[in-house]
Amino acid sequence: MQLKKLAQVLLVAASVLAISACTHTKKNMNPNEGSSYDDPYDRTQGAQKAQASGAGSGANYGDGVSSKHATSKDVYYFDFDRSVVKSADMPAIYAKADYLLAHPKAKIILEGHTDPRGSREYNVGLGERRANAIADILKAKGVNPDQIRMLSYGAERLAAQGHSEEDYQMDRRAIFARIQQG
Amino acid sequence: MMRKYIAMLCMGIAMFITSSAFAILNLELTRGIAGAVPIAVHPFPVQGDMPREDVAAIISNDLRNSGRFKVYGDDSKKTDTKVVGRVLQVGDNKYQVSFQLVDALKDAEQSVLLTRNYTVPYSELRSVAHHISDLIFQQITGMRGVFSTRLAYIVLQHLPNGQTRHILEISDQDGYNAKPLLASYEPIMSPAWAPNGRKIAYVSFENRHTAIYIQDVATGARRLVSQVPGINGAPAWSPNGNKLALVLSKNVSPNIYVLDLMTGQMMQLTNDYYINTEPSWSPDGKSIVFTSNRSGNPQIYKMNLADRAVSRVTYEGKYNARASYTPDGNRLVVLNQDSGLFNIGTLDLDTGMFRILTNSGSDSQSPTMAPNGAMVLFGTWYKGQNVLGMAATDGSIQLRLPARNGEVQDPAWSPFLS
Repeated sequence: MQLKKLAQVLLVAASVLAISACTHTKKNMNPNEGSSYDDPYDRTQGAQKAQASGAGSGANYGDGVSSKHATSKDVYYFDFDRSVVKSADMPAIYAKADYLLAHPKAKIILEGHTDPRGSREYNVGLGERRANAIADILKAKGVNPDQIRMLSYGAERLAAQGHSEEDYQMDRRAIFARIQQG
Repeated sequence: MMRKYIAMLCMGIAMFITSSAFAILNLELTRGIAGAVPIAVHPFPVQGDMPREDVAAIISNDLRNSGRFKVYGDDSKKTDTKVVGRVLQVGDNKYQVSFQLVDALKDAEQSVLLTRNYTVPYSELRSVAHHISDLIFQQITGMRGVFSTRLAYIVLQHLPNGQTRHILEISDQDGYNAKPLLASYEPIMSPAWAPNGRKIAYVSFENRHTAIYIQDVATGARRLVSQVPGINGAPAWSPNGNKLALVLSKNVSPNIYVLDLMTGQMMQLTNDYYINTEPSWSPDGKSIVFTSNRSGNPQIYKMNLADRAVSRVTYEGKYNARASYTPDGNRLVVLNQDSGLFNIGTLDLDTGMFRILTNSGSDSQSPTMAPNGAMVLFGTWYKGQNVLGMAATDGSIQLRLPARNGEVQDPAWSPFLS
């Protein structure tokens, strides 16, 4: 209760700041600036560049697409309404565990995502199970749970805007995103 | 982090900056009722300054888009039922609107079914027109009209820089008078109207945390209700508005809780390792239905709040989710899938009969019911865009509501507002 009150006070304060800061925040809207972390927004920006050179089509966050060929794999795909990690992804996840064990100050967000079909709130639950599935592997390897935060977007941040099964496969994913270097 | 937060709030806190006279949603009747009632709505002559709002046109539009009327202009030969009226300027900013609903078949004494006079400021001409539509609708169908209700929904605007702006917006039931309540570069979802129509609860991902807020519709003031680690989702008001059912995962598994909004006391209703979500109250407030995958796939379950007894409600189809009761408590509206598309259907709780309402040729989701129980509003896809659709709960009518600018999803129909 105490904490909630504090949060409310902070919120009001932030709102006042927000209004007064409105004219200065435009450049801060670009999450790429001043950030050296590989969170998914950086990939958003990357996808934009790719689009400008004609590689993409339509609106696309690209975090699935651009990371698919990344040397260090940050995106793991799932089957419909399932949260079972594919065995092919295990080596990459073990490598993440090794990194987190070697960098105990590093912090990550595991994002869970689903395809757009079905119910939005159920998909938020499903996305969290996907993030949890990755987290469980990391924790089983000895990673400190405090290094991991989970954030399920459900179907609210799609990788692909289309409605083909191919698009849906790109949507059903968990993303490993570093938020603090170790 | 703080700067990012400020940037996101920037869009959000400056509310009610625009109030467009143009509809953001464009109703297109795709399938009307077979036995639509023919009615003639004659133009209302205006005395005084011509107002921008055409009262007769608004009434025509309302009745036509209800799917239950075949509306004619002043060609009274095609119908015996007609609406006549006039608009008279009676002051600087005041108009007197009068109308009559007339049945030409009845003899002279009985021919006037309704007659009313209203004196309103200029700004209320639209709402008085909707009110007249409500009266006509009730007189002829016997059912309370919903033309004075509002919608809440999420608009998505895909910006050239690749980002998406998410805007929680409300509008009149016909898509006019759209007003933004919150805008963010992070998702906003699951808007839910308080039973008195004055507040909306919703989920916001701002600052990359999920949180449930309750926002005052008139003032824009908002209150943080829940922001614990993991999921904060699926807010659902109790019928008396004193409690909010919601979903918290606390990083383990989504379970359903009830928050007493008066005392702040939180009570946990489900406690297992499955997905439990989308609580929705029965009209008498004695039970909730919710979605759970405890049987392997998502299905609807009912919990009696007195003894916490849980029973499974849906068996038809392999995916049933997001249930809500019809206002009479006799049926559930659910999102259903068996092998093909996701559809909106109704389940009769007495007979167990299940009926599909949508056949739009693409997946549907997020059903929300009109307060008279006659129509369901839902999200669907049309020409590659998220649009809203409407269907009658008896399956007779379908409408499409594309957004004029951007995509629109996750709707919530307001309760009766007057």
